[in-house]
Amino acid sequence: MTAEADKPNIITASLDFLVNWGRTNSLWPFPYGTACCAIEFMSTEVGRYDLSRIGSEYVRFTPRQSDVLLVAGTITYKQAPILKRIYEQMAEPRWVIAMGACACSGGFYDCYCTVPGIDHIIPVDVYIGGCPSRPEAFFDAMFDLQKKIKDESYMKQRAERVKDQLEMIKAKTAEAKAAAKDFAREKVVDIKDFVASKEQELVKKAQFWKE
Amino acid sequence: MNTVEDIFSVLEEKFGAKRDMQDKWGVAAIVSAAYLHNAALFLKDAAAIKFEMLVDIAGIDYLTYPNHEGPRFAVSYAFKSMSVPGARIRLKVLVGEADLKVPTISDLFANANWYEREVFDQFGIVFTGHPDLRRLLNHVEFVGHPLRKDYPAQKRQWLSTNDYLLPALEKRLEDLGYRVVQRSKEVGTNDNEYLEGSIKE
Repeated sequence: MTAEADKPNIITASLDFLVNWGRTNSLWPFPYGTACCAIEFMSTEVGRYDLSRIGSEYVRFTPRQSDVLLVAGTITYKQAPILKRIYEQMAEPRWVIAMGACACSGGFYDCYCTVPGIDHIIPVDVYIGGCPSRPEAFFDAMFDLQKKIKDESYMKQRAERVKDQLEMIKAKTAEAKAAAKDFAREKVVDIKDFVASKEQELVKKAQFWKE
Repeated sequence: MNTVEDIFSVLEEKFGAKRDMQDKWGVAAIVSAAYLHNAALFLKDAAAIKFEMLVDIAGIDYLTYPNHEGPRFAVSYAFKSMSVPGARIRLKVLVGEADLKVPTISDLFANANWYEREVFDQFGIVFTGHPDLRRLLNHVEFVGHPLRKDYPAQKRQWLSTNDYLLPALEKRLEDLGYRVVQRSKEVGTNDNEYLEGSIKE
């Protein structure tokens, strides 16, 4: 039964397809631009390259409404907690693109003030090289991200997410079953005793009347 | 009394300045910390060529400097004249490691406020009389002064939380005479939330 439920069937597979299709074609970026990579992102976004061709129509300047956190530029230790908080404020599902050498590895800022790669703070899905990256490289990263999203399974993630709850429910059910069984056993024993005592009484009465 | 050289001679005469012979452009003079404020005031108001603009304040650490004798630190003030083109003067104050104190000139030049904060942040030189001497570039939990030559350049220091700036802002507004109608409260993250973030320690 359980093995049957784990397998993808026609309902879960088509639901996965539908959800992934929606997510793939509406990746709204949140530009966390701190350096020259943000200028390249602007040129990616507007007329000549036009990021909205692949569905990233709106650049949202609030983490609540965006799907992709685009870290474009140098991250210093002073703003590392800010970046982390913004990532935590984003709603699931969320992805992170590290754009340019600084966001990937700290770039040439090998010094006291620069975070050596944002993966020290937050998980990253796609890295883009370059200093700064070309718009074509950014498109490539978006395609990579789309491929990654197409491979994801919404149902599996959901199962993963509610696993704790499911296990808790199973444990509670088992507990309740055991309690009910004990209760029933006690009842049965009680009834048996009752019946036995009645029987003895009857036997006594019959003997009395016989005498 | 019309050239920069004349002003240098006045500086030498009145404020005990000494020409810095090592300076490449020949526009630097070394003054003692006690005379700095008066010398800056003279350059700003009383000199034949008025140096109205403070271009920069730079800290210098001579720890690994070749063939250097004298105090370890120096603070260099760059002045520029807005009335005579090309007239520039730099004043240099030598600061020993035992007494890291220089009088502030932020009452003469408003932009000196942040320059002095930066020098304090990066070199640890204390400007006496400065209205608000805090770190400017590095974060509040930073220990040490990174542009000193004995600070290891790759030593990194994490900041645990971002600044909550609203109380300071409210205080500043209240000092200016505004009235704060509603105080804001910082909202922390809830660890017990079901859909917690994917960051796990």
